Order: sequence, then structure tokens, then C-alpha cells
Amino acid sequence: MGEKSDVWQGTLALMALRTLETMGRQHGYGLARRIEQTSGDRLQLNYGTLYPALLKLEQEGFIRSHWGLSENNRKAKFYALTKAGQRHVKKAAKEWEETTSILARFLAPAEEA
Amino acid sequence: MPMRKLRALWIRIRGMIGRQSDDEDFAAELESHVDLHTEDGVRAGLSPEEARRQALIRLGGVEQTRQAYRERRTLPCMETLSQDIRFGLRVLRNNPAYSAVAVLTLALGIGINSAVFTVAQAALLRSWPAKDPSRLARLISTTPQGQEINFSFADYRDLAEQTKSLEGILAFNRRTKILRVGVESRPVLDDVVSPNYFSVLGLGPQLGRFFPAESTSESHPSVVISDSLWHRVFNADRSLVGKEIWLTNRPFTVLAVAPPGFRGLQRGVPTDLWLPIANEYSGQELADRKNREFEVIGRLRPGVTAEGAQTELDVLGRRLSSAFPAADKARNVALISERERLREVMAPTLFLLTVVGLVLLICCANVAGLVLARADSRRKEFAMRLALGAGRVHLMRQLLTESALLALLGAGLGLLFAYGLLRLEPVLMPPAEVEIGLDLHLDASVLVFTGAAALLSVLVFGLMPAIQTSKISLVSAIKGEKTGMVRSVQRWTMRNGIVLVEIALSVVLLTASGLVVRSLLFSQSLPLGFDRQRHLIYFDLLPGVAGHNPQHSAAFFSQVRDKAAALPGVRHATLARRVLLSESGGGTQQRVSIPGVELPQGQLSVPIKFDAVDGNYFRAIGTSLIEGREFNSGDSPSASPVVIVSRTMAERFWPNKQVLGSEIVADGVARQIVGVAEDAKINSVHETSEPYMYFPFAQLPGGEGTLIVEAEDNTPALTGRILSEIQRVDRNVPVSIRTLRYLMQQAFWADQIAAGFVGALGALGIFLGTIGLYGVVAFTVSRRSREIGIRMALGAEKGDIMRLVLGHGLALAAVGAAIGLIASFAVMRFLSTLLFGVRPTDPLTFTCSSALVILVALAASWIPARRAASIDPMQSLRME
Repeated sequence: MGEKSDVWQGTLALMALRTLETMGRQHGYGLARRIEQTSGDRLQLNYGTLYPALLKLEQEGFIRSHWGLSENNRKAKFYALTKAGQRHVKKAAKEWEETTSILARFLAPAEEA
Repeated sequence: MPMRKLRALWIRIRGMIGRQSDDEDFAAELESHVDLHTEDGVRAGLSPEEARRQALIRLGGVEQTRQAYRERRTLPCMETLSQDIRFGLRVLRNNPAYSAVAVLTLALGIGINSAVFTVAQAALLRSWPAKDPSRLARLISTTPQGQEINFSFADYRDLAEQTKSLEGILAFNRRTKILRVGVESRPVLDDVVSPNYFSVLGLGPQLGRFFPAESTSESHPSVVISDSLWHRVFNADRSLVGKEIWLTNRPFTVLAVAPPGFRGLQRGVPTDLWLPIANEYSGQELADRKNREFEVIGRLRPGVTAEGAQTELDVLGRRLSSAFPAADKARNVALISERERLREVMAPTLFLLTVVGLVLLICCANVAGLVLARADSRRKEFAMRLALGAGRVHLMRQLLTESALLALLGAGLGLLFAYGLLRLEPVLMPPAEVEIGLDLHLDASVLVFTGAAALLSVLVFGLMPAIQTSKISLVSAIKGEKTGMVRSVQRWTMRNGIVLVEIALSVVLLTASGLVVRSLLFSQSLPLGFDRQRHLIYFDLLPGVAGHNPQHSAAFFSQVRDKAAALPGVRHATLARRVLLSESGGGTQQRVSIPGVELPQGQLSVPIKFDAVDGNYFRAIGTSLIEGREFNSGDSPSASPVVIVSRTMAERFWPNKQVLGSEIVADGVARQIVGVAEDAKINSVHETSEPYMYFPFAQLPGGEGTLIVEAEDNTPALTGRILSEIQRVDRNVPVSIRTLRYLMQQAFWADQIAAGFVGALGALGIFLGTIGLYGVVAFTVSRRSREIGIRMALGAEKGDIMRLVLGHGLALAAVGAAIGLIASFAVMRFLSTLLFGVRPTDPLTFTCSSALVILVALAASWIPARRAASIDPMQSLRME
């Protein structure tokens, strides 16, 4: 689990940021569910791991949090993107695309050879 | 991105404080998460219990999540450190006496080290106060008789013109001048310098401009003043540049103010002003190659090594020597580079630091003793913590943290202590009319040194207890067994040895301070030949400097004397050429022959010191006349020459004969003796009386003298009134003012410093000895608590136990004191040159110092003895 979660910490942060960008403010549980849905339920998150990742993003100034009420009138802590966070998502998404496309070339079946 | 990381780090560090509310906040967030998830589950048709169970599983455990969250919120390694520190502080706070003594001991050791390092730095290590000082080098002149640092100006100029390896050479010579500001005159120290002085040093003025490259003799000479003088005398007046100041009765234009902190090139004697050479010397003086007055410093051209420059100077020196054999035969020029200078001062520096390093080592040994004594009584606590799962590494880290805290507090307090010691410098310097003293301040290098000293102390006093403790054997410690008995016995004897040395040392130091203090008391009770209780004010007057000829000067002197005598509050006003026990105390002599008296070894004349004094002189200062009369207004220049001789002079040359009316011939003038005065101390309190004679002030005209006023009481206002009377007679005559009090301070300075210094060492010695003894006795008590318990169970009284422990302390103290006494007998004779009126083997002092040490030892053992006596036998036996 250790190695895997390390990898996930980075991508998980990007997923969370991207989800917040498209969906607007979300509480932790909603965010977790949304990430699972977006992955087509191929990701099975350990929900607990989401919170330290969110805290890190908040410490870095990409998101901010405040207490509010959920649609069912339940008290929950909501997260929202900051300006810096919006910039960061764009940049990070671009970098990630770059990385995956390069990696894709390596992993593609060797047809051209 | 690093900014983001920094921001995150900062928030995490902040996260370590005020975590309570954050923890609650996150608990609430998790609670709401689980609730939301459970709600979804219920909506999907699960039972509430099942939904909640699943929610918790998917979360991955509440505690784990909280832990991961907490680790992200703060810095885990810092967390443990702060925990250790908090625990350590609590331990220290819970034992205030132990902590205070340990911190104080360390502060003493570290403080003394920092202070001595600062002094060594200022006196020895610090480079030239210049830009790029490593390229500066002193030029010296080598002769068959040895090395000289002074050059003649002509030789200096030739070297400066011919050298290629040095990009510039400066020359300077120390002089004194009298600076007059308003009505007050004061002596100042000036350096007469070559015009390139500041440019070779690479310094820029803080105000104005420095000397032009080519300066010739000017009618209106220029001067550069020091930042210190600018502040002290001129209140940092920015408009001073371009104005005139008066130096020894000549006007000088202030050209510039030197940069702050620049005190000239002589350590310990700061320069107040700089004057160009051309104005202060005649061309003839400067051309004389035998007139060696100048110190010379050169700056190496970039890339030129000291060896390279030396080779060239060798050639130049030989050239000088062969060109001017009359002055420079067999002379050569050598160079002392900065690196060489540092190598030369290394030995004294290391010696100083080793001595104070030993003091620090003793302090550390003492604190180690205290820590061990405490660690021993905490064995059960440690063992319990080990048993409960604390790692040995953690325990060691905890103990080292405690030691480091002690050292940190000690270093902080030590720095304060060092600062206090350095502030004492002006008090310790001899009283002088010019400002002297080293440039002492705590700078970064001192802080680094202090830090290193503290770190070293932690290693010395903290590591051993830490290692010792981590070796605790669990089972036996909890059972209360004392493990490693053999090892601890060895340690015990070594620590006894240290304590013995400390006690012996404190006996030696106390004996020394006792002797020096007794000597000081004796000196202060010595008859000086005049009354030291009187309110005497001395006005040193220099009419000669103001351009008066001897006749004018004589008129000036009698005028100021009469003016002063007429003021209310003045008991007597008189005149003297020299002042007893002052810097100008009277070394000059006249050759005296005595008709009808056989002089020793058949000489025709003998040199005898003298003074010229006015009427009332003896009455004013309180010297009694044994026979005859004082001088009076009848002893004028035209009257027949007379003299008053001292008692020693009378007894030496006219034993059992009529002195009054006899005649002497001094410097070719026949004088009749009209009085015999009691002997007075002339130059030093400790001199033995020698023949001395007094001439009438009026019969020995001159351009300098002192108006001595005996006031009815100590009123500063009177000094001001007399000063303005003097100014009214002639405002151009330089005046400087001293009091008898000041002269007495000066006269007893050396004795007082010796007493203070040795006394402080004695106090330090006994303090450290006490701590050491306490540590050892307390340690033994905790070691022997079971034995004591058994003794008490078997019927020993509290008094017996007290006696047992006190006996141990006293035995140590007695052996230490005996060693100390023997050492004192051996060492004290080296003090004999410092001692007056007390023998180096004075039995009273020896008895007192050893008695004091034993008494203090008794007090130091008292606390552990009380603790031993209060041991509950049941409890100490139950430890089995």
C-alpha cells in the first residue's frame, strides 16, 4: 500500500483540484465520491487518504476551506479553488498530459518498427 | 514553487502550537464525512448500523486518518523535539536548585571563556583595522642588536619610492597634543602620518576628505579627527569640517572625520587625531637618518607574496645600508606579513584559552557530577520508561536534550556575564587623562566561539551520563539494585580526585587573594608624607605653551595663585612645579655638591630629585616641617637662594649636625638650607625614602607649573570658579584639572587590580569547589541510601547519619585543604614582588583560607547530609 499511495498522493491532488475546478465547491465526502464517479468507478479510494492531501493543498494555498451546510442541511467542511489553485490546475494538467503522451509513445505497441 | 513549499512549512510549524482546536475541527469534519456517507448508505437501502460500518471501512479507520492528517499538519520530527524540550524544561523546573546551580556553573565557565576570547581577539587576533588587511604587512628594521620597528623618515621615503612589490607604504608616529575646546584643555593622542595613510589602509572618511596625496607644510595645517573624539568633544557636529580647532596653541583646520570604529593602528591606545608629517617636523629633522621615529606599514600589490616582497626589500635594505653607512650600517629591512603576525600571537592566545578552557572543563566536570547524581536517583524512572516501551535511543536523546537545555541557558547567561565583564574594562584600566583601552565588543566570532564552547560542554558533561543511563539493566534497576558497581567505583574515585584538585586550588587562590588584600590594606595605611584626606585640586598650567617667556610665566603664576587664594571656600592656594605621585611626579634631578660633607665613593656631586614650590605648599598638602620655615614672599628671584631638604636628605648628609643654615651647591648655585620637611612619596607608594629637595617657586622660573588649591570641602562649583579666574588672567594658557582623589586612584591602581583579580579568582575557585563537593557527596548519599536505611533500621540515630555524610565531605575537604596549603607554600613566593607589609607565608592568611574552605565544605555537605538523615528506613529497604 505504501508505494502505491505515494504515487496516488500526487495524482490524487490533481484529481481533487480538477474536480473542484469543474464542480465548484465541494465537501470532502462529495469530492471523494465525485472522483470515483469520474473514474467510472474504476478507482476505489480509501477516503481517509483524501484529507491529508486536501490539507497539503490548503497549506500550499491552492484551495481554501470553510464550514457550511450540505444539500441535506448537514454541517460539512467545503473546499474551493483559490486563484492560485486555478492557475496551478491548468499548469499541472498540461504537464500531466505531456508526461502521459510521452509515456504513451513508449508503451504503444511497436507497430512502426 | 519553493515559495509554496515555504508557506506550507511555515503553516506546519505554526501547526505545532494551538493544536487543540485544530484537532477538534478535524474530528468534526470526519464526523460529518461519516454521517454523509451513512446517509447515502441508508438511502441505498442499508440499515443505519450497516451503513455506518461500511462508511468507516471505506474511510480506512478514524484513528489512522487522524494520525496521517496530524502528521501532515505539523512536522513530526519537530514534534518529538519539542516534546523532548518541553519535558526537559519541566524536569529542570521541577528541580530549581539543581537547575540554577548547573546553569550558573556553566554560565561562569562559558562567560569567562567568551570574555577572554574577546580580549584575545581584540589584543592579539584581530587584523589591521583596514580594507583587505591580509595584504598589509609591518616593515621592521633588522640590526645586529635585534629588531626595531622604527624607521627614519628618509629611509622610509626611499623605500616607498623604490619598492615595486608594495603598492603603498605608510608611516606614522605617536605624539600627544593639548586640545582646547571652549575654556577647557585636554591632552589628546595624535598620530603624525604620511599623507597616504588612509589610502594605504583603504579607508574613506565619514565626513570631509582625507589628506591630499602631496601635502607640504602649510600655514594653516589640517587635521583629521577620530569618530570617538568627534562624538566625545564635538557632539558629532556635522559642520565641524572646515572649521578651526586649537591644538597646543596653534589653529588647525578640520579636514575630515575618520570612519566610525577606526582607532588608529596601535591596539589599546586609540588615536584621537591624525596630522600630516610635513607640518609637524622640520625638513632637517626629516632628513636625519639617525632620527628613527616612524612605524611603517606596507600594502602588498595584488598577487605578490610576502616572500616575494621580502626578497625585494632585502635588496633595497642592502642598498640603503651601503649608501648611508653612517646611519644604516649593518641594517636591513624585513617584512612581517599578517599570516606571520598571527603565527606569532598564536602561542599566547592558545595559552590564555587553555587556562580558561581548564576552568570550563572543571565547570563541566562539576555539572556532570550533578547530572550523574540526579541520573542515579532517576534510575527507576528511566527503567520504568524503558519497560513501558521507550527506546534506549529515545532515552539518551531525552537526556542529551536536557543537557543541551542546560548548556543553552548557561551560554545565554554566560554571554550576559561576559558582556558584564567586558563592561568592567574602563574600571580596570589605569586612570589616565587620555582614553586608553582595547576595542572590546561581542561580535559574531564571539557568538560562534560561545556556541562551540556550549556544544563542547554538552558533549563533556552530557554524554557520559546519557550513555551510562542508557546501559541500565532493566530488571535490576527496577528491583533497585546498583549495577556496574566496579565501573562506578572507578568513576567515583576519579570524581573524588577532581574535587580534591578543586578544593586544593581554591585554598591556593584564597590564600593568594588574602595576601594581596592584606598587602593592599597595608599600602593604604602607609604614611605618604602628606594628608590624603584633604580636598586638593590641581590645575596644571602651561603658560610656556601659550608663548609666555619665563618672566611672564612667573607673573601669570603669582596672579592666578592670588586670585584663587582670594576665593571663598579656598583654604590655601600654592604653586608647585611637579605634583607628588602623578605621572610627572618628579624624575628630574640636579647635581648637588655639599661643602664640608664627604660624598659616598668620593664623588664630587650626587644627583638629587627636586621640586619647586611656593609658600604655603607644605601647609596646603599637609606635610609637616620638622625644622625651620616654609618659603615666603621674601624668597624672590633677587633674594639669596634658599632650599628646604627632606628628612632623609638631612639625616644622610648631616647626621647629628646642624642642618639649618648649612649650604649646598645645586647646578652651580649655592643655596642655604632654611627648613627640613618630612619625607613624602614622590613617584610611587612603595618607594623607599630618598633625599629630596625643594626650591622656592620664584627662584626657579619656567613655563609650566601647577596651582594647588586646598578647598574647605568637596565642591565642584569651586573648581569652575577657579578655572574661570585662570581664564580671566590669560585665556590662552592650557589648563588641565586633577584632584587628589584621582591621584590616589592612580597610585593604588596596581594594588587594587591585583587584589580584585586574585580575589575574583579566589571566589570562583571556592564556588566551583563547593559545587564539586556537593555533587560528590550528594551522589554518594543516593548511592548509599540502602546502606543508610539499614543502619537506621539497626538503630542509628539521625545525628549519626548526619555525622557519617558530613564526615565524608569534611574528609575530602581536609585532604584537599592540606594539599592546597602545601601548594600555597610553594607558590606564594612568586607573589612576593606584589606583596607589601605581609610575608608570603603569613600564617594568619593561611589559617583563614583553609578554615574558610573547610567551613564552606561543611555547608556544601550539609544539604545531602540532611537528605540522608531524612531517609525513611522502611522505604529505602523496601527497594530490595
